[in-house]
Amino acid sequence: MTDRPIAEAPPRRLRLRPRGGRAFLIAPPVLVVLAVMVAPIVLIALYSVDVKTNLPFTPTKFTWSMWKDFLPPSGKFPNPFWHRFEISMVITVVVSLIAVAAAYPLAYFLAFVSRRSRYTLLLLILAPFFTSYLLRVIAWKIMLSNHGVINTALWDIHLRSHGDGLPWLIYSKFSVGLVLFYSWVPFVAVPIFVLLDRLDPNLLEAAQDLGAGRVTTFLRVTLPLSLPGVIAGFVFVLIPTTGEFITPLLVGGPGSQMFGNSIQSFFQDTPNWNYGAVLALWLVGVVFVMLLVFGRFLATDLREANS
Amino acid sequence: MSAAVGRLGKVILGGYFGLMVVFLYVPLVVLVIFAFNNAYIPALPYSGFTTKWFHAAFSNTDLTGALKRSAWLALLNGAAASLLGVAAALAMTGRRLFLRSVWTTLLLLPLVVPYIVLAIGMVIVIHQLGYQASLTAVLAGHIVISLPYSILVIVPRLRTLDESIVEAARDLGADNVRAFLLVTLPLIVPALISSALICFTISFDEFAIASFLAPPGSPTYPVFLYSGTRTPALEPQVIALGAIVVVFSIVLVVAGDVSRRVLERRLAT
Repeated sequence: MTDRPIAEAPPRRLRLRPRGGRAFLIAPPVLVVLAVMVAPIVLIALYSVDVKTNLPFTPTKFTWSMWKDFLPPSGKFPNPFWHRFEISMVITVVVSLIAVAAAYPLAYFLAFVSRRSRYTLLLLILAPFFTSYLLRVIAWKIMLSNHGVINTALWDIHLRSHGDGLPWLIYSKFSVGLVLFYSWVPFVAVPIFVLLDRLDPNLLEAAQDLGAGRVTTFLRVTLPLSLPGVIAGFVFVLIPTTGEFITPLLVGGPGSQMFGNSIQSFFQDTPNWNYGAVLALWLVGVVFVMLLVFGRFLATDLREANS
Repeated sequence: MSAAVGRLGKVILGGYFGLMVVFLYVPLVVLVIFAFNNAYIPALPYSGFTTKWFHAAFSNTDLTGALKRSAWLALLNGAAASLLGVAAALAMTGRRLFLRSVWTTLLLLPLVVPYIVLAIGMVIVIHQLGYQASLTAVLAGHIVISLPYSILVIVPRLRTLDESIVEAARDLGADNVRAFLLVTLPLIVPALISSALICFTISFDEFAIASFLAPPGSPTYPVFLYSGTRTPALEPQVIALGAIVVVFSIVLVVAGDVSRRVLERRLAT
Protein backbone atom coordinates (compact mmCIF):
# COMPACT_ATOMS: atom_id res chain seq x y z
CA MET A 1 0.00 0.00 0.00
CA THR A 2 2.80 2.42 0.87
CA ASP A 3 5.88 0.93 -0.79
CA ARG A 4 6.41 2.32 -4.21
CA PRO A 5 9.47 2.34 -6.41
CA ILE A 6 11.35 5.62 -6.39
CA ALA A 7 11.23 5.70 -10.17
CA GLU A 8 7.52 6.35 -9.93
CA ALA A 9 8.00 9.47 -7.87
CA PRO A 10 7.35 12.23 -10.45
CA PRO A 11 3.85 11.18 -11.60
CA ARG A 12 2.85 10.46 -8.01
CA ARG A 13 2.03 14.09 -7.41
CA LEU A 14 -0.61 13.91 -10.10
CA ARG A 15 -2.29 10.92 -8.52
CA LEU A 16 -2.84 12.57 -5.17
CA ARG A 17 -6.52 12.93 -4.54
CA PRO A 18 -7.96 16.37 -4.00
CA ARG A 19 -7.76 17.34 -0.35
CA GLY A 20 -11.50 17.79 -0.03
CA GLY A 21 -12.20 14.26 -1.21
CA ARG A 22 -11.88 12.48 2.12
CA ALA A 23 -13.78 15.12 4.08
CA PHE A 24 -16.54 14.98 1.50
CA LEU A 25 -16.80 11.20 2.06
CA ILE A 26 -16.53 11.13 5.85
CA ALA A 27 -18.82 14.12 6.52
CA PRO A 28 -22.26 12.59 5.76
CA PRO A 29 -21.91 9.49 8.01
CA VAL A 30 -20.30 11.56 10.78
CA LEU A 31 -23.07 14.17 10.63
CA VAL A 32 -25.75 11.47 10.82
CA VAL A 33 -24.15 9.96 13.94
CA LEU A 34 -23.73 13.40 15.52
CA ALA A 35 -27.35 14.36 14.86
CA VAL A 36 -29.05 11.08 15.71
CA MET A 37 -26.82 9.72 18.48
CA VAL A 38 -24.56 12.37 20.03
CA ALA A 39 -27.16 15.17 20.15
CA PRO A 40 -29.70 12.96 21.98
CA ILE A 41 -27.08 11.97 24.57
CA VAL A 42 -26.17 15.63 25.12
CA LEU A 43 -29.86 16.44 25.65
CA ILE A 44 -30.17 13.51 28.08
CA ALA A 45 -27.28 15.04 30.03
CA LEU A 46 -29.06 18.44 30.11
CA TYR A 47 -32.28 16.78 31.29
CA SER A 48 -30.42 14.90 34.03
CA VAL A 49 -29.35 18.18 35.68
CA ASP A 50 -32.72 19.88 35.12
CA VAL A 51 -31.42 22.43 32.62
CA LYS A 52 -34.14 21.22 30.25
CA THR A 53 -37.46 19.58 30.99
CA ASN A 54 -40.51 18.30 29.15
CA LEU A 55 -42.88 19.48 31.89
CA PRO A 56 -44.82 22.60 30.92
CA PHE A 57 -44.73 25.66 33.20
CA THR A 58 -41.85 24.23 35.21
CA PRO A 59 -38.87 26.51 35.84
CA THR A 60 -35.55 24.91 34.90
CA LYS A 61 -32.45 25.48 36.96
CA PHE A 62 -29.18 23.56 37.10
CA THR A 63 -29.17 21.08 39.98
CA TRP A 64 -27.42 17.85 40.98
CA SER A 65 -30.31 16.89 43.24
CA MET A 66 -31.58 13.97 41.15
CA TRP A 67 -28.05 12.59 40.80
CA LYS A 68 -27.59 12.85 44.58
CA ASP A 69 -30.88 11.08 45.07
CA PHE A 70 -29.93 8.22 42.73
CA LEU A 71 -26.31 7.57 43.68
CA PRO A 72 -25.70 5.21 46.65
CA PRO A 73 -24.81 7.37 49.67
CA SER A 74 -28.36 8.66 49.68
CA GLY A 75 -29.12 8.60 53.40
CA LYS A 76 -31.24 6.17 55.28
CA PHE A 77 -33.13 4.47 52.46
CA PRO A 78 -31.30 2.81 49.61
CA ASN A 79 -32.66 4.22 46.36
CA PRO A 80 -34.87 1.58 44.67
CA PHE A 81 -33.39 2.35 41.25
CA TRP A 82 -29.85 1.95 42.53
CA HIS A 83 -30.96 -1.37 44.01
CA ARG A 84 -32.42 -2.32 40.61
CA PHE A 85 -29.09 -1.40 39.00
CA GLU A 86 -27.22 -3.72 41.39
CA ILE A 87 -29.58 -6.66 40.72
CA SER A 88 -29.31 -5.97 37.00
CA MET A 89 -25.49 -5.98 37.07
CA VAL A 90 -25.44 -9.27 38.99
CA ILE A 91 -27.67 -10.87 36.33
CA THR A 92 -25.49 -9.39 33.57
CA VAL A 93 -22.16 -10.54 35.01
CA VAL A 94 -23.41 -14.03 35.93
CA VAL A 95 -24.93 -14.54 32.46
CA SER A 96 -21.75 -13.30 30.78
CA LEU A 97 -19.53 -15.63 32.83
CA ILE A 98 -21.73 -18.67 32.19
CA ALA A 99 -21.94 -17.82 28.47
CA VAL A 100 -18.15 -17.67 28.20
CA ALA A 101 -17.73 -20.94 30.08
CA ALA A 102 -20.31 -22.64 27.84
CA ALA A 103 -18.96 -21.14 24.61
CA TYR A 104 -15.33 -22.11 25.21
CA PRO A 105 -15.82 -25.86 24.57
CA LEU A 106 -17.90 -24.99 21.49
CA ALA A 107 -15.02 -22.95 20.08
CA TYR A 108 -12.53 -25.63 21.13
CA PHE A 109 -14.54 -28.29 19.32
CA LEU A 110 -14.77 -26.16 16.18
CA ALA A 111 -11.06 -25.33 16.15
CA PHE A 112 -9.52 -28.67 17.11
CA VAL A 113 -12.00 -31.46 16.38
CA SER A 114 -14.05 -30.47 13.34
CA ARG A 115 -11.18 -29.69 11.05
CA ARG A 116 -12.69 -29.38 7.60
CA SER A 117 -16.32 -28.65 8.38
CA ARG A 118 -15.60 -26.02 11.03
CA TYR A 119 -16.97 -23.02 9.14
CA THR A 120 -20.15 -24.90 8.27
CA LEU A 121 -20.61 -25.92 11.91
CA LEU A 122 -19.88 -22.37 13.04
CA LEU A 123 -22.66 -21.18 10.74
CA LEU A 124 -24.91 -23.88 12.21
CA ILE A 125 -24.59 -22.47 15.74
CA LEU A 126 -24.63 -18.84 14.56
CA ALA A 127 -27.77 -19.10 12.39
CA PRO A 128 -30.23 -18.88 15.34
CA PHE A 129 -28.34 -15.78 16.50
CA PHE A 130 -29.27 -14.05 13.24
CA THR A 131 -32.99 -14.67 13.59
CA SER A 132 -35.12 -12.02 15.19
CA TYR A 133 -34.13 -11.36 18.80
CA LEU A 134 -37.73 -10.63 19.77
CA LEU A 135 -38.92 -13.87 18.17
CA ARG A 136 -36.38 -15.91 20.09
CA VAL A 137 -37.65 -14.40 23.34
CA ILE A 138 -41.25 -15.09 22.26
CA ALA A 139 -40.28 -18.69 21.42
CA TRP A 140 -38.91 -19.10 24.96
CA LYS A 141 -42.06 -17.58 26.42
CA ILE A 142 -44.03 -20.33 24.67
CA MET A 143 -41.66 -22.92 26.16
CA LEU A 144 -41.60 -21.55 29.71
CA SER A 145 -44.99 -20.00 30.45
CA ASN A 146 -47.31 -21.41 33.13
CA HIS A 147 -49.43 -23.24 30.57
CA GLY A 148 -46.51 -23.51 28.17
CA VAL A 149 -44.79 -26.39 26.46
CA ILE A 150 -42.47 -27.49 29.29
CA ASN A 151 -45.09 -27.36 32.06
CA THR A 152 -47.80 -29.08 30.01
CA ALA A 153 -45.28 -31.73 28.94
CA LEU A 154 -44.51 -32.41 32.62
CA TRP A 155 -48.25 -32.73 33.34
CA ASP A 156 -48.67 -34.99 30.34
CA ILE A 157 -46.12 -37.49 31.56
CA HIS A 158 -47.41 -37.15 35.15
CA LEU A 159 -44.16 -35.81 36.56
CA ARG A 160 -46.15 -32.97 38.11
CA SER A 161 -49.83 -32.79 38.91
CA HIS A 162 -52.01 -31.01 36.37
CA GLY A 163 -52.16 -27.24 36.73
CA ASP A 164 -49.12 -27.12 38.99
CA GLY A 165 -46.43 -25.30 37.01
CA LEU A 166 -42.82 -25.03 38.11
CA PRO A 167 -42.81 -21.70 39.98
CA TRP A 168 -39.32 -20.62 38.92
CA LEU A 169 -39.73 -21.47 35.24
CA ILE A 170 -40.96 -18.07 34.09
CA TYR A 171 -41.16 -14.49 35.42
CA SER A 172 -38.05 -15.19 37.46
CA LYS A 173 -34.34 -14.39 37.42
CA PHE A 174 -33.87 -17.91 36.07
CA SER A 175 -36.00 -17.27 32.98
CA VAL A 176 -34.37 -13.90 32.29
CA GLY A 177 -30.89 -15.40 32.70
CA LEU A 178 -31.70 -18.45 30.58
CA VAL A 179 -33.05 -16.42 27.66
CA LEU A 180 -30.15 -13.95 27.79
CA PHE A 181 -27.70 -16.87 27.87
CA TYR A 182 -29.49 -18.50 24.93
CA SER A 183 -29.37 -15.28 22.93
CA TRP A 184 -25.67 -14.62 23.34
CA VAL A 185 -23.84 -17.94 23.72
CA PRO A 186 -23.30 -18.59 19.96
CA PHE A 187 -21.86 -15.11 19.50
CA VAL A 188 -19.39 -15.54 22.38
CA ALA A 189 -17.92 -18.58 20.67
CA VAL A 190 -16.77 -16.49 17.69
CA PRO A 191 -13.83 -14.49 19.14
CA ILE A 192 -12.62 -17.55 21.10
CA PHE A 193 -12.81 -19.69 17.95
CA VAL A 194 -10.88 -17.09 15.92
CA LEU A 195 -7.96 -17.19 18.38
CA LEU A 196 -7.95 -20.97 18.86
CA ASP A 197 -8.14 -21.52 15.12
CA ARG A 198 -5.06 -19.36 14.57
CA LEU A 199 -3.05 -21.04 17.34
CA ASP A 200 0.22 -22.46 16.03
CA PRO A 201 -0.04 -26.27 16.39
CA ASN A 202 3.74 -26.43 16.86
CA LEU A 203 3.36 -24.68 20.22
CA LEU A 204 1.13 -27.48 21.51
CA GLU A 205 3.46 -30.16 20.18
CA ALA A 206 6.46 -28.40 21.68
CA ALA A 207 4.75 -28.35 25.06
CA GLN A 208 4.05 -32.07 24.84
CA ASP A 209 7.57 -32.87 23.63
CA LEU A 210 8.76 -31.13 26.76
CA GLY A 211 6.68 -33.52 28.83
CA ALA A 212 3.43 -31.70 29.42
CA GLY A 213 0.22 -33.71 29.37
CA ARG A 214 -2.84 -32.54 27.48
CA VAL A 215 -4.31 -30.91 30.57
CA THR A 216 -1.08 -29.07 31.37
CA THR A 217 -0.72 -28.03 27.73
CA PHE A 218 -4.25 -26.65 27.82
CA LEU A 219 -3.83 -24.82 31.10
CA ARG A 220 -0.39 -23.37 30.40
CA VAL A 221 -0.38 -22.83 26.62
CA THR A 222 -3.81 -22.93 24.96
CA LEU A 223 -5.84 -21.15 27.63
CA PRO A 224 -3.46 -18.22 28.20
CA LEU A 225 -3.10 -17.68 24.45
CA SER A 226 -6.85 -17.67 23.92
CA LEU A 227 -7.51 -15.31 26.84
CA PRO A 228 -7.98 -12.19 24.65
CA GLY A 229 -10.75 -14.03 22.80
CA VAL A 230 -12.32 -15.09 26.11
CA ILE A 231 -12.34 -11.50 27.35
CA ALA A 232 -13.68 -10.21 24.01
CA GLY A 233 -16.48 -12.79 24.19
CA PHE A 234 -17.23 -11.80 27.78
CA VAL A 235 -17.54 -8.14 26.76
CA PHE A 236 -19.68 -9.08 23.74
CA VAL A 237 -22.36 -10.26 26.22
CA LEU A 238 -21.61 -7.84 29.04
CA ILE A 239 -22.16 -4.59 27.12
CA PRO A 240 -25.44 -5.31 25.33
CA THR A 241 -26.87 -7.12 28.37
CA THR A 242 -26.14 -4.13 30.62
CA GLY A 243 -28.78 -2.13 28.73
CA GLU A 244 -31.18 -5.02 28.22
CA PHE A 245 -34.92 -4.49 28.66
CA ILE A 246 -36.76 -6.67 26.12
CA THR A 247 -36.12 -10.07 27.72
CA PRO A 248 -37.25 -9.00 31.24
CA LEU A 249 -40.30 -7.36 29.62
CA LEU A 250 -41.44 -10.69 28.19
CA VAL A 251 -40.17 -13.41 30.54
CA GLY A 252 -39.24 -11.43 33.66
CA GLY A 253 -41.35 -10.86 36.76
CA PRO A 254 -41.45 -7.91 39.17
CA GLY A 255 -38.30 -9.15 40.92
CA SER A 256 -36.33 -9.74 37.74
CA GLN A 257 -36.76 -6.49 35.85
CA MET A 258 -33.48 -4.98 34.76
CA PHE A 259 -32.08 -1.45 34.83
CA GLY A 260 -33.21 -0.84 31.24
CA ASN A 261 -36.80 -1.45 32.35
CA SER A 262 -36.46 1.27 35.01
CA ILE A 263 -35.36 3.72 32.31
CA GLN A 264 -38.22 2.63 30.07
CA SER A 265 -40.77 3.08 32.86
CA PHE A 266 -39.79 6.75 33.28
CA PHE A 267 -40.61 7.37 29.65
CA GLN A 268 -43.74 5.25 29.30
CA ASP A 269 -45.56 4.26 32.49
CA THR A 270 -44.81 7.05 34.97
CA PRO A 271 -43.33 9.86 32.89
CA ASN A 272 -40.52 11.70 34.60
CA TRP A 273 -38.07 12.32 31.80
CA ASN A 274 -35.63 14.21 33.96
CA TYR A 275 -35.16 11.38 36.45
CA GLY A 276 -35.16 8.87 33.61
CA ALA A 277 -32.36 10.89 32.00
CA VAL A 278 -30.23 10.41 35.13
CA LEU A 279 -30.60 6.63 34.87
CA ALA A 280 -29.98 6.66 31.10
CA LEU A 281 -26.81 8.73 31.39
CA TRP A 282 -25.60 6.52 34.23
CA LEU A 283 -26.10 3.50 31.95
CA VAL A 284 -24.07 5.16 29.17
CA GLY A 285 -21.35 5.97 31.71
CA VAL A 286 -21.22 2.37 32.95
CA VAL A 287 -20.94 1.05 29.40
CA PHE A 288 -18.15 3.51 28.58
CA VAL A 289 -16.21 2.47 31.70
CA MET A 290 -16.56 -1.16 30.59
CA LEU A 291 -15.25 -0.09 27.20
CA LEU A 292 -12.27 1.72 28.75
CA VAL A 293 -11.40 -1.33 30.85
CA PHE A 294 -11.90 -3.96 28.16
CA GLY A 295 -11.63 -1.87 24.98
CA ARG A 296 -8.10 -2.94 24.06
CA PHE A 297 -9.20 -6.57 23.84
CA LEU A 298 -11.96 -5.61 21.44
CA ALA A 299 -9.58 -3.37 19.51
CA THR A 300 -7.05 -6.17 18.92
CA ASP A 301 -9.90 -8.37 17.84
CA LEU A 302 -11.13 -5.80 15.33
CA ARG A 303 -7.66 -5.05 14.06
CA GLU A 304 -6.96 -8.73 13.53
CA ALA A 305 -10.30 -9.22 11.80
CA ASN A 306 -9.44 -6.36 9.49
CA SER A 307 -5.96 -7.45 8.56
CA MET B 1 -4.76 -32.64 16.02
CA SER B 2 -3.78 -35.06 18.72
CA ALA B 3 -1.87 -32.46 20.75
CA ALA B 4 -5.07 -30.61 21.65
CA VAL B 5 -7.65 -33.36 22.18
CA GLY B 6 -7.52 -37.05 22.94
CA ARG B 7 -10.01 -39.61 21.63
CA LEU B 8 -12.21 -39.38 24.73
CA GLY B 9 -12.01 -35.61 24.59
CA LYS B 10 -13.24 -35.67 21.01
CA VAL B 11 -16.27 -37.74 21.98
CA ILE B 12 -17.13 -35.53 24.96
CA LEU B 13 -16.66 -32.29 22.99
CA GLY B 14 -18.66 -33.66 20.06
CA GLY B 15 -21.49 -34.71 22.37
CA TYR B 16 -21.47 -31.32 24.07
CA PHE B 17 -21.52 -29.53 20.72
CA GLY B 18 -24.48 -31.67 19.63
CA LEU B 19 -26.37 -30.90 22.83
CA MET B 20 -25.79 -27.17 22.41
CA VAL B 21 -27.06 -27.33 18.81
CA VAL B 22 -30.22 -29.03 20.14
CA PHE B 23 -30.55 -26.36 22.84
CA LEU B 24 -30.15 -23.58 20.25
CA TYR B 25 -32.72 -25.01 17.85
CA VAL B 26 -35.37 -26.46 20.20
CA PRO B 27 -37.21 -23.16 20.87
CA LEU B 28 -37.24 -22.36 17.15
CA VAL B 29 -38.46 -25.82 16.17
CA VAL B 30 -41.14 -25.63 18.89
CA LEU B 31 -42.24 -22.26 17.48
CA VAL B 32 -42.61 -23.80 14.01
CA ILE B 33 -44.43 -26.90 15.32
CA PHE B 34 -46.94 -24.86 17.32
CA ALA B 35 -47.61 -22.60 14.35
CA PHE B 36 -49.55 -25.61 13.01
CA ASN B 37 -51.28 -26.39 16.33
CA ASN B 38 -55.07 -26.40 16.25
CA ALA B 39 -55.57 -24.47 19.51
CA TYR B 40 -55.33 -20.95 20.87
CA ILE B 41 -52.76 -21.82 23.52
CA PRO B 42 -49.43 -23.39 22.58
CA ALA B 43 -49.51 -26.32 25.02
CA LEU B 44 -49.16 -30.10 25.07
CA PRO B 45 -50.83 -32.41 24.15
CA TYR B 46 -50.75 -31.28 20.54
CA SER B 47 -54.28 -30.47 19.35
CA GLY B 48 -53.94 -31.51 15.73
CA PHE B 49 -52.58 -30.06 12.54
CA THR B 50 -53.96 -26.88 10.98
CA THR B 51 -52.81 -24.12 8.66
CA LYS B 52 -55.62 -21.79 9.71
CA TRP B 53 -53.35 -19.48 11.75
CA PHE B 54 -51.37 -18.68 8.62
CA HIS B 55 -54.59 -17.78 6.80
CA ALA B 56 -55.73 -15.75 9.80
CA ALA B 57 -52.38 -13.96 10.00
CA PHE B 58 -52.30 -13.00 6.35
CA SER B 59 -55.89 -11.80 6.31
CA ASN B 60 -55.21 -9.63 9.37
CA THR B 61 -54.60 -6.24 7.77
CA ASP B 62 -53.03 -4.81 10.93
CA LEU B 63 -50.43 -7.53 10.77
CA THR B 64 -49.76 -7.39 7.03
CA GLY B 65 -49.68 -3.59 7.26
CA ALA B 66 -47.01 -3.76 9.98
CA LEU B 67 -45.09 -6.30 7.92
CA LYS B 68 -45.12 -4.08 4.82
CA ARG B 69 -44.14 -1.04 6.89
CA SER B 70 -41.17 -2.90 8.33
CA ALA B 71 -40.14 -4.25 4.94
CA TRP B 72 -40.05 -0.75 3.43
CA LEU B 73 -38.23 0.62 6.45
CA ALA B 74 -35.69 -2.21 6.26
CA LEU B 75 -35.16 -1.73 2.50
CA LEU B 76 -34.58 2.00 2.89
CA ASN B 77 -32.31 1.32 5.86
CA GLY B 78 -30.30 -1.29 3.95
CA ALA B 79 -29.75 1.16 1.09
CA ALA B 80 -29.06 4.27 3.18
CA ALA B 81 -26.81 2.63 5.78
CA SER B 82 -24.80 0.81 3.09
CA LEU B 83 -24.37 4.02 1.08
CA LEU B 84 -23.13 5.89 4.15
CA GLY B 85 -21.06 2.83 5.08
CA VAL B 86 -19.26 2.83 1.71
CA ALA B 87 -18.52 6.55 2.02
CA ALA B 88 -17.14 6.09 5.54
CA ALA B 89 -15.18 2.97 4.61
CA LEU B 90 -13.58 4.67 1.59
CA ALA B 91 -12.51 7.60 3.74
CA MET B 92 -11.27 5.35 6.56
CA THR B 93 -9.15 3.12 4.31
CA GLY B 94 -7.75 6.05 2.33
CA ARG B 95 -4.16 7.09 2.70
CA ARG B 96 -4.68 10.33 4.52
CA LEU B 97 -7.58 11.38 6.67
CA PHE B 98 -7.55 14.17 9.21
CA LEU B 99 -8.42 12.87 12.74
CA ARG B 100 -8.97 9.34 11.43
CA SER B 101 -9.16 7.67 14.86
CA VAL B 102 -11.71 10.21 16.10
CA TRP B 103 -14.04 9.50 13.19
CA THR B 104 -13.53 5.75 13.49
CA THR B 105 -14.42 5.80 17.19
CA LEU B 106 -17.43 8.02 16.59
CA LEU B 107 -18.78 5.87 13.75
CA LEU B 108 -18.36 2.62 15.73
CA LEU B 109 -19.86 4.10 18.91
CA PRO B 110 -23.46 3.04 18.10
CA LEU B 111 -22.28 -0.57 18.64
CA VAL B 112 -22.06 0.02 22.39
CA VAL B 113 -24.61 2.74 23.19
CA PRO B 114 -27.67 0.88 24.59
CA TYR B 115 -30.62 1.10 22.19
CA ILE B 116 -32.92 2.11 25.04
CA VAL B 117 -30.76 5.19 25.67
CA LEU B 118 -30.70 6.06 21.97
CA ALA B 119 -34.48 5.62 21.83
CA ILE B 120 -35.30 7.89 24.79
CA GLY B 121 -32.69 10.41 23.62
CA MET B 122 -34.42 10.60 20.27
CA VAL B 123 -37.78 10.98 22.02
CA ILE B 124 -36.34 13.99 23.87
CA VAL B 125 -34.82 15.51 20.71
CA ILE B 126 -38.09 15.16 18.83
CA HIS B 127 -39.95 16.76 21.72
CA GLN B 128 -37.47 19.67 21.88
CA LEU B 129 -37.82 20.28 18.15
CA GLY B 130 -41.60 20.23 18.46
CA TYR B 131 -42.06 17.26 16.12
CA GLN B 132 -44.16 14.13 16.56
CA ALA B 133 -42.85 10.57 16.69
CA SER B 134 -42.70 9.21 13.14
CA LEU B 135 -41.43 6.37 11.02
CA THR B 136 -38.79 8.78 9.65
CA ALA B 137 -37.38 9.02 13.17
CA VAL B 138 -37.37 5.20 13.40
CA LEU B 139 -35.48 5.08 10.09
CA ALA B 140 -32.93 7.63 11.33
CA GLY B 141 -32.34 5.55 14.45
CA HIS B 142 -31.99 2.37 12.42
CA ILE B 143 -29.48 3.97 10.05
CA VAL B 144 -27.28 4.98 12.98
CA ILE B 145 -27.31 1.55 14.62
CA SER B 146 -26.71 -0.22 11.27
CA LEU B 147 -23.87 2.03 10.12
CA PRO B 148 -21.08 0.37 12.18
CA TYR B 149 -22.05 -3.07 10.86
CA SER B 150 -21.98 -1.78 7.29
CA ILE B 151 -18.53 -0.25 7.88
CA LEU B 152 -17.21 -3.43 9.53
CA VAL B 153 -18.31 -5.48 6.51
CA ILE B 154 -17.02 -3.11 3.82
CA VAL B 155 -13.67 -1.99 5.32
CA PRO B 156 -12.03 -5.47 5.33
CA ARG B 157 -13.07 -5.98 1.71
CA LEU B 158 -11.60 -2.61 0.68
CA ARG B 159 -8.36 -3.52 2.48
CA THR B 160 -7.97 -6.69 0.42
CA LEU B 161 -8.14 -4.77 -2.87
CA ASP B 162 -4.89 -4.24 -4.71
CA GLU B 163 -4.54 -0.48 -4.86
CA SER B 164 -2.47 -0.71 -8.02
CA ILE B 165 -5.61 -1.63 -9.99
CA VAL B 166 -7.24 1.65 -8.98
CA GLU B 167 -4.02 3.53 -9.77
CA ALA B 168 -3.88 1.83 -13.16
CA ALA B 169 -7.38 3.16 -13.87
CA ARG B 170 -6.22 6.66 -12.96
CA ASP B 171 -3.09 6.32 -15.10
CA LEU B 172 -5.38 5.41 -17.97
CA GLY B 173 -7.22 8.68 -17.50
CA ALA B 174 -10.11 7.86 -15.17
CA ASP B 175 -10.94 10.48 -12.56
CA ASN B 176 -11.71 9.51 -8.93
CA VAL B 177 -15.41 8.98 -9.56
CA ARG B 178 -14.94 6.86 -12.68
CA ALA B 179 -12.15 4.85 -11.07
CA PHE B 180 -14.48 4.11 -8.16
CA LEU B 181 -17.52 3.26 -10.29
CA LEU B 182 -15.67 1.14 -12.86
CA VAL B 183 -13.01 -0.55 -10.71
CA THR B 184 -13.60 -0.41 -6.96
CA LEU B 185 -17.38 -0.72 -6.91
CA PRO B 186 -17.67 -3.97 -8.92
CA LEU B 187 -15.00 -5.53 -6.68
CA ILE B 188 -16.82 -4.69 -3.43
CA VAL B 189 -20.25 -5.83 -4.63
CA PRO B 190 -20.19 -8.99 -2.43
CA ALA B 191 -19.46 -6.88 0.67
CA LEU B 192 -22.15 -4.40 -0.35
CA ILE B 193 -24.72 -7.19 -0.65
CA SER B 194 -23.71 -8.53 2.77
CA SER B 195 -23.96 -5.03 4.22
CA ALA B 196 -27.40 -4.40 2.71
CA LEU B 197 -28.66 -7.77 3.98
CA ILE B 198 -27.28 -7.23 7.49
CA CYS B 199 -28.70 -3.69 7.68
CA PHE B 200 -32.05 -4.94 6.34
CA THR B 201 -32.18 -7.57 9.10
CA ILE B 202 -31.16 -5.13 11.85
CA SER B 203 -33.98 -2.76 10.93
CA PHE B 204 -36.54 -5.49 10.32
CA ASP B 205 -35.97 -6.98 13.80
CA GLU B 206 -35.40 -3.83 15.79
CA PHE B 207 -37.81 -3.36 18.68
CA ALA B 208 -36.40 -0.88 21.22
CA ILE B 209 -36.19 2.22 19.03
CA ALA B 210 -39.36 1.42 17.08
CA SER B 211 -41.37 0.84 20.27
CA PHE B 212 -40.62 4.41 21.38
CA LEU B 213 -40.74 6.20 18.04
CA ALA B 214 -43.26 4.43 15.79
CA PRO B 215 -46.56 6.34 15.89
CA PRO B 216 -49.32 4.42 17.77
CA GLY B 217 -51.40 3.87 14.63
CA SER B 218 -48.55 2.51 12.53
CA PRO B 219 -46.50 -0.05 14.46
CA THR B 220 -43.55 -1.79 12.83
CA TYR B 221 -43.69 -5.57 12.69
CA PRO B 222 -41.69 -6.23 15.93
CA VAL B 223 -43.86 -3.70 17.79
CA PHE B 224 -46.95 -5.48 16.49
CA LEU B 225 -45.48 -8.86 17.51
CA TYR B 226 -44.89 -7.59 21.01
CA SER B 227 -48.42 -6.28 21.39
CA GLY B 228 -49.65 -9.57 19.90
CA THR B 229 -48.03 -11.57 22.72
CA ARG B 230 -50.17 -9.61 25.17
CA THR B 231 -53.41 -10.39 23.31
CA PRO B 232 -54.32 -14.12 23.62
CA ALA B 233 -56.54 -13.97 20.51
CA LEU B 234 -53.59 -12.76 18.45
CA GLU B 235 -50.95 -15.11 19.86
CA PRO B 236 -51.47 -17.98 17.36
CA GLN B 237 -51.06 -15.51 14.48
CA VAL B 238 -47.90 -14.14 16.08
CA ILE B 239 -46.54 -17.68 16.33
CA ALA B 240 -47.46 -18.49 12.71
CA LEU B 241 -45.81 -15.36 11.39
CA GLY B 242 -42.85 -15.91 13.70
CA ALA B 243 -42.38 -19.40 12.30
CA ILE B 244 -42.25 -18.05 8.75
CA VAL B 245 -39.78 -15.32 9.69
CA VAL B 246 -37.50 -17.73 11.60
CA VAL B 247 -37.36 -20.23 8.74
CA PHE B 248 -36.93 -17.47 6.18
CA SER B 249 -34.12 -15.72 8.07
CA ILE B 250 -32.18 -18.94 8.63
CA VAL B 251 -32.46 -19.72 4.91
CA LEU B 252 -31.36 -16.16 4.15
CA VAL B 253 -28.33 -16.35 6.47
CA VAL B 254 -27.17 -19.64 4.97
CA ALA B 255 -27.82 -18.50 1.38
CA GLY B 256 -26.08 -15.19 2.04
CA ASP B 257 -23.01 -16.87 3.46
CA VAL B 258 -22.78 -19.44 0.67
CA SER B 259 -23.26 -16.87 -2.11
CA ARG B 260 -20.71 -14.50 -0.56
CA ARG B 261 -18.12 -17.30 -0.47
CA VAL B 262 -18.86 -18.29 -4.05
CA LEU B 263 -18.76 -14.69 -5.31
CA GLU B 264 -15.53 -13.83 -3.52
CA ARG B 265 -13.90 -17.02 -4.75
CA ARG B 266 -14.89 -16.12 -8.30
CA LEU B 267 -13.64 -12.55 -7.94
CA ALA B 268 -10.38 -13.75 -6.44
CA THR B 269 -9.45 -15.75 -9.53
